[in-house]
Amino acid sequence: MAIVTTKKLMSEKDQGQEIISSVAMIVTLVSFAMLFATLMMGFAMFRITSPVWPPAGMTKPSLILPSLSTLCIFLSSMSFIWFEKNIADKRGLIVTIVLGFGFMLIQSLLWHSLSSQGVFVSSGIFPSIIYTFTWIHAAHIVAAISLLFWLLFSVLKENTPKVRIQASNVGKFWHFLGIVWFIMFVTIFVL
Amino acid sequence: MAFFEQHIHDAPKTFLSKYVFSFDHKVIGKQFLWYGIAFLGLGGMMALMIRWTLAFPGEPFPIVGQFLFPQTNGVVPPDTYAMLFTLHGTIMIFYAITPILIGAFGNFCIPLLIGARDMVFPTLNMLSFWLAFVSAILLLASLFTPLGGAAGGWVSYPTLSTLIGSPGIGQTLWCLALFVLGVSSTMGAVNYIATIITLRAPGMGYFDMPLTIWGLWLTAILNALFLPVLGAGLLLLTFDRVFGTTFFLAGAAATSGSGDPLLFQHVFWIFGHPEVYILILPAWGVVSDLLSFFARKPAFGAKATALAMTTITILSTVVYGHHMYTTQMSPLLTQSFMMLTMTISIPSAVFFANWLGTLWKGSIRFHSPMLFALGVVFVFGLGGLTGLYLATVTTDLYLHDTYFVVGHFHYTMAASVLLGGFAATYFWFPKMFGRMMNEPLAKIHFWITMLGLNGVFMGMMVVGYAGMHRRIYNPFVYEFLQKLIPINMFITYSALLMGFGQLFFVYNFIYSLVKGPKASANPWEVGTLEWQIPSPAPHYNFDVIPVVKCGPHELGNPNLKNGRDFQYQTEELVEV
Amino acid sequence: MNLYSLYMKLFVFNAHASEMTLLERIKPPLDISTNGHLIDSLFNLTTMLITGFFILVCIGLFGFSYLYRKSRHPVALYVHGTARKHIAIVAAIAALVFMIIDMQITGISNHDYMQVFAKWPKEDADVVRVEVLGQQWAWNFRYPGKDGIFNTEDDIVTLNDLRLPVGKKIVFQVTAKDVIHSFYLPNTRLKLDAMPGRVSKMWVELTKPGVYDVACAQMCGTFHYRMQGKMTVYSQEDFDKWQNEMQNRTTFAMEKENADLYWGWKWLASK
Ligand code: HEA
Ligand code: HEA
Ligand code: CUA
Ligand SMILES: [Cu+2]
Repeated sequence: MAIVTTKKLMSEKDQGQEIISSVAMIVTLVSFAMLFATLMMGFAMFRITSPVWPPAGMTKPSLILPSLSTLCIFLSSMSFIWFEKNIADKRGLIVTIVLGFGFMLIQSLLWHSLSSQGVFVSSGIFPSIIYTFTWIHAAHIVAAISLLFWLLFSVLKENTPKVRIQASNVGKFWHFLGIVWFIMFVTIFVL
Repeated sequence: MAFFEQHIHDAPKTFLSKYVFSFDHKVIGKQFLWYGIAFLGLGGMMALMIRWTLAFPGEPFPIVGQFLFPQTNGVVPPDTYAMLFTLHGTIMIFYAITPILIGAFGNFCIPLLIGARDMVFPTLNMLSFWLAFVSAILLLASLFTPLGGAAGGWVSYPTLSTLIGSPGIGQTLWCLALFVLGVSSTMGAVNYIATIITLRAPGMGYFDMPLTIWGLWLTAILNALFLPVLGAGLLLLTFDRVFGTTFFLAGAAATSGSGDPLLFQHVFWIFGHPEVYILILPAWGVVSDLLSFFARKPAFGAKATALAMTTITILSTVVYGHHMYTTQMSPLLTQSFMMLTMTISIPSAVFFANWLGTLWKGSIRFHSPMLFALGVVFVFGLGGLTGLYLATVTTDLYLHDTYFVVGHFHYTMAASVLLGGFAATYFWFPKMFGRMMNEPLAKIHFWITMLGLNGVFMGMMVVGYAGMHRRIYNPFVYEFLQKLIPINMFITYSALLMGFGQLFFVYNFIYSLVKGPKASANPWEVGTLEWQIPSPAPHYNFDVIPVVKCGPHELGNPNLKNGRDFQYQTEELVEV
Repeated sequence: MNLYSLYMKLFVFNAHASEMTLLERIKPPLDISTNGHLIDSLFNLTTMLITGFFILVCIGLFGFSYLYRKSRHPVALYVHGTARKHIAIVAAIAALVFMIIDMQITGISNHDYMQVFAKWPKEDADVVRVEVLGQQWAWNFRYPGKDGIFNTEDDIVTLNDLRLPVGKKIVFQVTAKDVIHSFYLPNTRLKLDAMPGRVSKMWVELTKPGVYDVACAQMCGTFHYRMQGKMTVYSQEDFDKWQNEMQNRTTFAMEKENADLYWGWKWLASK
């Protein structure tokens, strides 16, 4: 883990910063986790109580696009880890950002294909869930991408312990969103 | 252990940076205090309108009535009544009590009492206040929309709160306002948690923290965990209203597919029950400290109290079902929720006993903060114990959604938490503003409030058991409630008295701000860190970070030589 | 001249201030069900128990405040309450609260709920079945009629007018049309939420003929307070008489094709 190795090189202030920011980041992620957990609980409740799933007259959307976006976000997490290994070369981060945009693109394609099949957010509980959950997740992705840009700027400026802390925290958020998407993918689209 | 010396900027010069967009936790605390008191006033006025309507149906509301409801020449109309109690509940919980106890005293006390110079994220802190401000604007704006503000009760259950029950934009604005406020409070919570974990002065272990900090910390944890749950619920509700999704629509109402209105109730109470402890935990903390400070002896079983509060925090996450007995959950669930709810009274009894233990063989000074603290012990005894009627399912079948419930939660919130807030205000006012509040006025305020609130809330219990249900504009269309008119009038008179009492507080507060006698550094002679620095607390609190050597409640140690009966937390504990 | 009557004289300038003692005023409505007393007695028991403990609290609170005020007790005792003795006392109090209050009332309530209120009459039992539909802002009631089957031509449908016999178990199936309501019969101490999309059920057995209030206990919009019905409790004979009268009348609510007025469902067998 990069941070640990560089510990000795870090001033006391930076160490303080690191601990504080990671404590805060973890608490924040727990909050976000509760948000998505609640959504998932709602989904589970509908799913369990309804006799057939998907509800009568609805079909599951094809898995192609969702699988692509899953792949996309998985690779982006990988590339970010690669980037964290060595902040100095920024390619990893750039790849992450590109893949992040790729994810958003695929999601919008997904929404488009659904609506072109006449499945709209208001056409029943299952579409409601698909649209709403992906929207809420996408909103977070957008926020995360802007964080990635913010990180990119500071990486371009300097390569200090401070930036490494920043990187690891933005990273935590990005990986978190990846995991959330994976759970949604499995529970909503696959099962 | 403080990990690092916070970086000090020099004091802001301009008015804006000093009083408006300030990073200083003390200023933000004061901002929240004003915000809270203003809304307390607003919510209180609404309460008085509610009470007037209930006691004198069809009579014009005195003075302001004519301006507010010209079309009915002064009488509160039914739809407005629904709006009134909805906003009264919302405002009192989210815009009055939360800002005062968590916003104001959370911000003001946490850094001072743990010996830090500021929160870890001053900017986040400022953002949190201004988001709360935006949220307030959204809420008040909803009042001026064509169909008026939200009117579904503070819990605003679907399907009443969907387009079927409330087509107006007001309900949507209500959802957004609460969502924004939730974000703001979550930011605050993250800040508090991180601050308390990382910025405690060197030598201050968790059990050397004043219990106030314990209360605020646990509250922050609950906030961080459960506000997002409410957030999710509100999002789904907003989508139902705006995008035509059907999460909470069912039966005849549902156009396509089918949702479930009950889901919202689950989500709401998963948040809602912790919320009530979010409100009261800081008050418990403050009271536990003040009892010890003014009884001039160590807090009895402080550690046990802290652990009891922690236990309650944990239990509070698994009892929410007791709000939903009448929705007929599966008997198994009902039973388990009843059991779990009951267990909460064990830790409650523990700190209750500790409170009394603190008074035992003390040397009690009855300064105004102490009076309010003792008041809390009294009213929370009542509020808590009446919770037990509601916790047992069979009695709740009768009492649910009657004024008995209203009485219960006013005793716990409108009495315990409110008095706790007043106690904190009287206690920290000197450190906030460098002046003392007027003691006689404070005592008048206490006694009138005490008299009034017991009249109001005991009355509510009585009419509740007599069967009067909640949220009704005119109870007396029912035969079985007509005999209650005199009692409802009594409640209203008491409410007016209580409202009147608050004017002493407002006057005292404003007057002391400008004319109050200058406060010494340590007017109450207690040893926690904030009293070692001058009043009002200077910019960046401590010029050297203090080193903590003993607990916060070291009073009345017989071996103290220096003529004091207390010792500062920075002093080596004098052994007996 | 006690405080109450003084208050009534001075402040209650009001027609309703009839001569009635305080106790009469504040007691719950007349219990007309076979099981309402279970709830009342549990309530009274709880009152006794918590009053006891609250008196303890007050003794501590006021007693200590008097005994140990500064002027009377200038030096405080320096204890942290961490001695084994002190911890034992606190633990004892907590245990007492749990055993004397909680375990008792939970046990009783649990028994009453499982053995009485949630113990449904057998499907084949001879009971009066009523379907209840809440809507803004009225209560609809549906009786199966002669054939004893719901959703048939001979159903009896009434609005805000519930008629029931004494001495026979009555089973309600309750739901709502638009928003959530709560079917509240103060005189039976019972209450049940009526929710769109699900049918919940409740049973009572009545004892006293007369006319009583039916209320809605769940906020359901502007006229929630007016969502009031009347419950007329008959002797068995009068009830049958009433049913026969109603039988030959047909109401608009019978026409199935009239979708927005028609409601009702086949009686749901309890699993
Ligand atoms: C600060 C707020 C607060 C607090 C602290 C509590 C505390 C408790 N509440 Fe309350 N409650 C509310 C706020 C609060 N409540 C609100 C707002 C609602 C209604 C929401 C709505 O519907 O609008 C509500 C509703 C509510 C209900 C639902 C009623 C209904 O809608 O039908 C129930 C049911 O179980 C309940 C139970 C309890 C219990 C068991 C406690 C327990 O925590 C109480 C524990 C304390 C004790 C048991 C006292 C311990 C002390 C002693 C025992 C003294 C003995 C000691 C000595 C002798 C030394 N509450
Ligand atoms: C902590 C929260 C809190 C507080 C403090 C109060 C305070 C009061 N409440 Fe409130 N109440 C609720 C929370 C609270 N309430 C909630 C959650 C509901 C449920 C809503 C719902 O059903 O959805 C409710 C509902 C409710 C009802 C039931 C409405 C109904 O069901 O039909 C009633 C009726 O009597 C009532 C009365 C009162 C009264 C008389 C007070 C009095 O204590 C008020 C006394 C205070 C004042 C009179 C103002 C004091 C003024 C100042 C301190 C400063 C003044 C400042 C300026 C002028 C700038 N409340
Ligand atoms: Cu229907 Cu209230
Ligand atoms: Cu609760």
